[in-house]
Amino acid sequence: MTHPSVDIRALQVRFGAVEAVRHLDLAVRSGGSTALLGRNGAGKSTTMRVVAGVTPATAGDVRVCGIDVRRSALAAKRAIGYCPDVGGLVPRATPWEHLQLSARLRRLDSRWEDDARSLLDRFDLGGAAHRLTSGFSHGMGRRLSVVLAAFHLPDVLLLDEPFDGVDPLGVEATLQVVASARARGAAVLVSTHLLDLAMQACDEAVILRGGLVVGARPAGQLRGDEGAQTYRALLA
Amino acid sequence: MTIRLSEWRRAVSDVAPLLQFRLADLRGRRRRAAASAIGFFVVLTVAAAAAPAFGPGATTSSKAGDLLILLPTAYLAFLLTTTLAIVGTGGGRELMAADQAVAFPVSPTTDHLGALLLAPLNIAWVLQAWSLLAVTAYVAGTHHLLFVQLMTLSWLAAATAVAQALAWCVEWVRRGPHGIAVVRSTYAVLGLGGAALVATNRLGAVFDASPTVWVVIATLAPLDQHWLTWCLGIAATLSAGALAVALGAGAAHAVSRRTSRDEARAEARAFAPRAMPRSELAALVRTDRASVWRSVPLRRGLIFLAMLPGMVAAAGALPWEMLPILPGLVAAGGALLFGINAWCLDGVGALWRDSEPVDPQLAFVARVWVLLEVLLVATLLMLLVAGVRARGLPNSAEATALGVTVAVVSLQVVARSMQWSVRHPYAVELRSARGTPAPPFVMLGYSAWLALTSTLTGVMFGVTAQASDPTWALILALPLLLAAVRRLVITARDWADPDIRARVVSTVAAR
Repeated sequence: MTHPSVDIRALQVRFGAVEAVRHLDLAVRSGGSTALLGRNGAGKSTTMRVVAGVTPATAGDVRVCGIDVRRSALAAKRAIGYCPDVGGLVPRATPWEHLQLSARLRRLDSRWEDDARSLLDRFDLGGAAHRLTSGFSHGMGRRLSVVLAAFHLPDVLLLDEPFDGVDPLGVEATLQVVASARARGAAVLVSTHLLDLAMQACDEAVILRGGLVVGARPAGQLRGDEGAQTYRALLA
Repeated sequence: MTIRLSEWRRAVSDVAPLLQFRLADLRGRRRRAAASAIGFFVVLTVAAAAAPAFGPGATTSSKAGDLLILLPTAYLAFLLTTTLAIVGTGGGRELMAADQAVAFPVSPTTDHLGALLLAPLNIAWVLQAWSLLAVTAYVAGTHHLLFVQLMTLSWLAAATAVAQALAWCVEWVRRGPHGIAVVRSTYAVLGLGGAALVATNRLGAVFDASPTVWVVIATLAPLDQHWLTWCLGIAATLSAGALAVALGAGAAHAVSRRTSRDEARAEARAFAPRAMPRSELAALVRTDRASVWRSVPLRRGLIFLAMLPGMVAAAGALPWEMLPILPGLVAAGGALLFGINAWCLDGVGALWRDSEPVDPQLAFVARVWVLLEVLLVATLLMLLVAGVRARGLPNSAEATALGVTVAVVSLQVVARSMQWSVRHPYAVELRSARGTPAPPFVMLGYSAWLALTSTLTGVMFGVTAQASDPTWALILALPLLLAAVRRLVITARDWADPDIRARVVSTVAAR
């Protein structure tokens, strides 16, 4: 039996007196995509940060492609592409410099440049590839964060609020990125508030409330008006 | 432009809640640390204002006589350097960051008063104020010292208000049509004028004609029981200060109607792509280096830091043996621009950077490398300018003392800055020249600490420069260098801890 690409067991994250995530279990198989849904403060971004190796878990076991994120953080990070929920861009570096830094740290061969250029063009960022990101609009920043997460073809793609403030063309490009990642066997975890888009991108959803999983549904059950009502009932 | 009395009342009453809002950044231990920092600053200021009066040779020695002659120049230098320092920060420090202030009705008058209140957060201001108080105390002695220093404090306040008003005027020009070219041309003309005065040996005559001679006469008037002169001096400086505050508020309103273009030009510009960096360290260093030199406020601040002490030293023709006092000032000033919160260079990109597969210790080394490099570049530029009039070439003891001072203070400041950066991170953008890398009260403590330690180190190596044997400087440097390296190693270990790093990263990215 193969391991899930993302395997979270009994995850707990505390910040002082605040328990951000409580006993969370989650698995995303290779080629699968799961949406993390929930209200503000539900623990979605904290979970994403733990999987990305940016925030350590207080307790529990988090594995990416079978690698323990806490014990082998570097190996886990090599397998992951992460789009953080806030900013995610170094203000006084250009998109191309972000890509170069990531390519060097990931030891990619020279073919990455063509892939990156075509991805930048797909996200309508080709013309801004050599401008400082501090001058970018919020939507441009979000789109570039998705490009940075995806261009190195990671085994696990973590997208935290990738649709936030993004125009329809950017949304479409992001959905394409998710689809092509799944097609090549990557596991995708998407955290968002936007139920409709989450259901277009993912085949299942896990709903969090107060750091706890309050429900898990196949995408089909959360689509349309009936799905929205089910979702609202789980949030209440 | 006149400002109504009601506007003044409202502006004054708005300052306190804004200060409280900034204090809200500090909780628990940090608030206690900020209170300690303010206490530390006050104690050092009182010590500077009083202790030299009790020192050997105060008032009576020939050295006191020499300092008395230099006192008017020192009073004038305070005004000039404070003006340049505030000009360099685009109008002085801000009570509330510009991006946060958009949600609040903060008037330009409140902003102006806040900038005046925060003026002492500049290391140039702190060091010069302490020096002025100390030299005045040494010249005056203990007799009527309180009255003497009240006049000095009155001058410090008036000069700061005048400097602030002038800085608003420069900022107004800078934000106007062709403003940057006009301001740069003015700097060039003033620089050339100063160089001409130095070259023709007329600088001394200009300083002798400085109106600050009257300020010094009024300051020292209590020694001869000339109380009327003292009272007139106090009244004149306070009136000048009040007038400058009023005019400065008008200038601040005028500035607020013009858009700041601090980083707009850089953001609109395309940067030519470069070849792939050869190693991971080179890639990290390149990114960090760009974060410093592409930031208009950091670049401007570093140029001021390098040029200002260098030009003052050149104007005063400071000999090589006295130059070791300066590298500490430059290093401390550079650290206060961003080094004390070094991870804030990544800003909101900190989360993404930490998710990249790189050894955290290597990222730490890159940050140390860039900070050290920036401080060394500024220090060497300063020494180049200062050395022009330092009488020939330094002898072996002077050269060794100078080299060792640069190495020790730079490494000390970097080690301390990295420690503060890991222990006390803050979310700041550093997009505006007026921003600070830490809240105002924390900056006060950092300024006082760095000013004190780097000055003491500089003084110590200044003494070794006068020795016949250069070995003394090396012997004294070794334990200081080792202590700094030890601090860096401990901090690097802390940074490698995932829990500590997560706290730093999530803090600096939280904007």
